Amino acid sequence: MEALGINIPGLITQLISFVALFVVLSALLYKPIIRGLDQRSERIRESLEASQRAQEEAARSQEEMQDQLASAREEGQQLIAQAREVADRFREEELAKARADIAAERERAEANIQRERDAAIEDLRREFTGLALVAAERVIRRSLDESDHNELIEQVLEESSRAPSRN
Amino acid sequence: MLRSPKALLILAIGLVVFAVALLGGALGEAFGLGFLGAPLAAIQIPAESLTSNPVIGGFRVTNTMLATWIAIVALLILTWRVRSKQTEIPGRLQGIVEVILEFFLGLAEGIAGRERGRRFFPLVMTIFLFILTANWLGILPGFGTIGRVETISEIEHHHCDKYEDHDSPEYKDCISHVSHRSVQVFEGDGALAYQPFGSVGSNVTIEEWEEHPQQGRQAGILVPFFRSANTDLNTTLAIAIVAMVMIHFWAFSTIGFGSHIGKFINFRGGPIALYVGILEGISEIAKLISFTFRLFGNIFAGEVLLAAMIFMIPLIGIIPFLGLELFVGMVQAFIFSMLTLVFAATASVAHNGDHH
Repeated sequence: MEALGINIPGLITQLISFVALFVVLSALLYKPIIRGLDQRSERIRESLEASQRAQEEAARSQEEMQDQLASAREEGQQLIAQAREVADRFREEELAKARADIAAERERAEANIQRERDAAIEDLRREFTGLALVAAERVIRRSLDESDHNELIEQVLEESSRAPSRN
Repeated sequence: MLRSPKALLILAIGLVVFAVALLGGALGEAFGLGFLGAPLAAIQIPAESLTSNPVIGGFRVTNTMLATWIAIVALLILTWRVRSKQTEIPGRLQGIVEVILEFFLGLAEGIAGRERGRRFFPLVMTIFLFILTANWLGILPGFGTIGRVETISEIEHHHCDKYEDHDSPEYKDCISHVSHRSVQVFEGDGALAYQPFGSVGSNVTIEEWEEHPQQGRQAGILVPFFRSANTDLNTTLAIAIVAMVMIHFWAFSTIGFGSHIGKFINFRGGPIALYVGILEGISEIAKLISFTFRLFGNIFAGEVLLAAMIFMIPLIGIIPFLGLELFVGMVQAFIFSMLTLVFAATASVAHNGDHH
């Protein structure tokens, strides 16, 4: 043993040194570092899970939003269609009313014109009758020769054309 | 690639350096050159003590103890550096330490299971880190090459003090035996010595020196201040003892005292089981011894190899072997720690037949 250099004091010294290193490293290096590693992996796992959850959440809400959007679009489409229908109907009605109004107006105007014309014709006839009567009167009063006759008719006609119309 | 002038130049320089180193070393010494060489260092298995007298009782501080403590201090500094800046987001130093720890924790958990692996881990890791640090420290420059001179009278004391009576014929015999030993001549008083270049021929025997002592020089053996910690059997035996004690402690605590002791002393299974149990017990001793001598042998051989290379091809001869020693140092650390882990894992499992 002595030739190999193994001796009790040396062995005990090395034993104490190594055991001391073992204890110190276990307490001060391995334990905290391993704890740190475990904590880190735990944290990574947690955050991965959280992100997974958030992703799912986001996907779900997006889906929801998509649905809402689709229903809103449909609703809007419906509203527009409805509005268009209402507008069409309104226009039809208005058009029909306007058409009827115009027709009534024209009818009235036509009736008016008719009436005016009838009245004018009546007036003219009356006037003409009056003139014929005056002429006839004058013819009868003179009762003379033919030349006188003609002269007289000419005179009446001249007077009537000179006299202003009542219309 | 060899055609480019740069590569050729490098090759030529390399060849010249190699030739110079070869001629300057022990080989050149045979032809009267040897201008770079130093004598082959005194290689001995026991660690050299740094003090000529014991400190307390029989306790002497040896150069391997000093190396052990330097390795421990280096690891403590590493611990302090890592811990003082430990954060959730690791820096580089914390990162590499975490990688190493995680790797070994993974191995331990993979081999021994999660719960037991975590129990075994600190010892396995400490064995690896300590042996690795000690081995790598041991190949630093200055380890084994700078020291003090063990003088002739110290050598005589060292060898012959077991014969207490200085007038006895045994003592005189011993002194005359020692006087044929070869020692080296160093400049100065020998308190701080190293091997100078071209000192291959500076060896004398003790007898010659005592006849013609030289002024201002000191003859003796170079005792390095630092010697790789695992080139001392005390260190490797200490680690092996701790490992084996812990292996059996874990075995007792996990499978119970009776179950574990029953592996070695088994009366119930008949004579063959008893014999197998005794063999198991012997194999535990064999494990201890193989732990001790495997590590010691590898690292000691590495030191001798480096010393021989310095002797034969100075300056450049050790460069490839430094790489080899780095590798061997790591492999031995890994082997020691892994064997501890495997032994612990197998010892803390009850034998199939014993467990009902």
